[in-house]
Amino acid sequence: MADRDERAAGWGSRAVQVGFLLVVLALWYLATNRWGVNRLLLPNPVAVWHQLLDVLRTGEFWPDLRVTLIELVVAFALSMTLGTAVGYFVSRTRYAIRVFDPLFAGIYSIPIILFLPLYVLFFGLGPASKIALGATISFFPIVLSTIAGLGNVDRTLVTAARSMGASEYQMFRYVLLPAALPVILSGLRIGFTVALLSIIGSEVIASLAGLGHHIVQLGEGMDMARMFAYIAFVVVIAAVLNSTVSFLEKRGRRRI
Amino acid sequence: MTARDAAVRIKGVSHQFGAAGDTQYVRALADTSLDIARGELLCLIGPSGCGKSTLLNVIGGLMTPSSGSVEVAAKPVRGPMPHDIAFVFQEHALFPWNTVIENVRLGMLFQGVPKSEHAARAKKSLEAVGLTEFANHYPSQLSGGMRQRAALARALSLETDILLMDEPFAALDEQTRMILGEDLSVLLARTEKTIVFVTHSLGEAVFLADRVAVFSARPGTIKKIMRVDEPHPRRPDFVTSEKFTALRNELYALLHDEIRKTVSESARSED
Amino acid sequence: MSAAEQFLLRHPGVVRLGVIVAILIVWEIAARWFIDPLFIAPPSRVIASLGAVWQTNGVPAALRLTLFELAVAFAIAVAIGLTVGLAVGLQPFARRSLAPIILLLYGLPQITILPLFILYFGIGAASKIAFGVTHGMFPIMLAIIAGVQNLKPVLLTSARSMGASRWHILRYVIFPHMIPSFFAGMRLGMTGVLLGVLLAELYVSTAGIGHFTTMFTENFDPTKLFGLIAMLAAMAIVLNEIVRRAEIHFSRWR
Repeated sequence: MADRDERAAGWGSRAVQVGFLLVVLALWYLATNRWGVNRLLLPNPVAVWHQLLDVLRTGEFWPDLRVTLIELVVAFALSMTLGTAVGYFVSRTRYAIRVFDPLFAGIYSIPIILFLPLYVLFFGLGPASKIALGATISFFPIVLSTIAGLGNVDRTLVTAARSMGASEYQMFRYVLLPAALPVILSGLRIGFTVALLSIIGSEVIASLAGLGHHIVQLGEGMDMARMFAYIAFVVVIAAVLNSTVSFLEKRGRRRI
Repeated sequence: MTARDAAVRIKGVSHQFGAAGDTQYVRALADTSLDIARGELLCLIGPSGCGKSTLLNVIGGLMTPSSGSVEVAAKPVRGPMPHDIAFVFQEHALFPWNTVIENVRLGMLFQGVPKSEHAARAKKSLEAVGLTEFANHYPSQLSGGMRQRAALARALSLETDILLMDEPFAALDEQTRMILGEDLSVLLARTEKTIVFVTHSLGEAVFLADRVAVFSARPGTIKKIMRVDEPHPRRPDFVTSEKFTALRNELYALLHDEIRKTVSESARSED
Repeated sequence: MSAAEQFLLRHPGVVRLGVIVAILIVWEIAARWFIDPLFIAPPSRVIASLGAVWQTNGVPAALRLTLFELAVAFAIAVAIGLTVGLAVGLQPFARRSLAPIILLLYGLPQITILPLFILYFGIGAASKIAFGVTHGMFPIMLAIIAGVQNLKPVLLTSARSMGASRWHILRYVIFPHMIPSFFAGMRLGMTGVLLGVLLAELYVSTAGIGHFTTMFTENFDPTKLFGLIAMLAAMAIVLNEIVRRAEIHFSRWR
């Protein structure tokens, strides 16, 4: 009985969610087709759909997608390597944690996107400045979670392993690493997400190529339907990338 | 007792945490000496914070005392001695990401047992604690009592002469405790290990121990040693005997004043 | 152990300060003698130039406007976040159906629609406030929904057993219970608002902060650029600190 109620409630909330989506689409359609909202402000959803299909068919997104992905991969590889390495060395002593952890946390609380103009000045408008910014921003969640993961391992487990004669390497391989891995993996996932966001963001603000840059270009050309289509495309790409990383994180947690 | 019969010799051990004058300065243990015989089961009992766990960690080489020394198997203790001493901790200390059998094997890997012996020894120790069927369960899938059995199996598989148990049943309910205590007594009567067992429970101490060392309030030292002359394995109905009750009452009288002292002191320091 | 070592052991903050000073010294040396002065300015010169940055025509007004945008955006984000968060969080059905939608919206890369905000709201304060609000309100909503949700049922039962009315329960149980989550949400909200407003400020290169960062970059004037960014960073640090202090203060009982 309770089970049935719960299932009914589950369907109910699903219906509300689908309804919400339909209402938004309907309002959008009515606004452009009936109520005469300016097409330069809000394009027709049907036109956006056609444009989206066109974007996908012509494959014109490839060069921009390639630029963004290369920036992302290089930036994330940098921050992952540096973040976990620095985090590992800091976490080796309690004292180093007390010195460096608040320092990293403090810098992370500043909106690092502020440094974008400096990076543009230093590295130019090309991919280098995006890579540098993405690597900087994603370094912090990775280093902080590595310190948190390795620094907060249950002391009884460490003591137990020591009492059984575990060597330094065994301690790391069989105790510290498996205990810290879930925290480090979620730090890597967050790092990936913020790297992606900051790279698209810096492409929007100041760049010559990439997905973010293309959106701005379409906007400046007042090609609204195509711009909306392109935004939808980028949102889907971001969602696919983020879900892939979440999936890998879950896989990684299970394979300790 | 001569040096040769003693499995563990504790000589004038004192320990304090923090430096004198520090806010966190605590004198945990004051000038404690004791010999523990081979094959003996010694219980340490005393009020909270009296340094019984500190003493256990000092014996096991997990802590270096501020002064004094400990000898195990006629060798001075300077660090963990995984070939002589195995631990069972209060919080079971099983690696949560490993199954029961993996936990047992990991202990042997740490201790340096050749791989070829792992399977046989793991099987034997799991049988001894009655967990064979649960070998492939994760600790989170087991009850509290089963987790402590698994931790005991891990310690047994190390085949050390000495077993140090730090309030191993403290987190369990009364009934599980009773059963585990009975099983432990049976198991240990067979193995002839030397065991030091820290507990809060009067009944547990009388039921398990050959000797019970009663600690004074902080800074702890041994106030009295009580002997329990009853052959191992102890029978379940030992608990209901007059002898048990008498010993338990004696222990209660010894402990009561010390516990009062500890409680009133901690109430004062909280003001 | 010497007295100095003991002092440092007890005060890791001093060592932390030492690390920061060491970084500044390395930066100073690198910027003075090893790197092209067109790209990087030594910290000593940045500090000396703060006055000159402030004297630059329009900079004080742009900074004041940014602060105003941050304050307004934060106030609106808190108001919307609190209202929606309570409305959704207090009702189980609404929570189950709407919380996933909020989570989904929060997860979208909002930066992709920044050009639309400028198009709709213009290059003035309105677009920046709007973009700050959409960044700040979702984390506040989610924190409040989570805060209302994880109330221990035994507290409700015990309040009811003592005869508490619905209003009593709201006023004396639910409300105090969610105060810490509310302030945790405010802290996340502030982070979001700072991000949104500053992104929009940097994007619009014809007015406000973005105009000056673009100008200093194009003139290869790193000293002033560093100075301006240092001022903004200081503003962000102060605002974050205020919210963080408030959170610590109101979550004491935790």
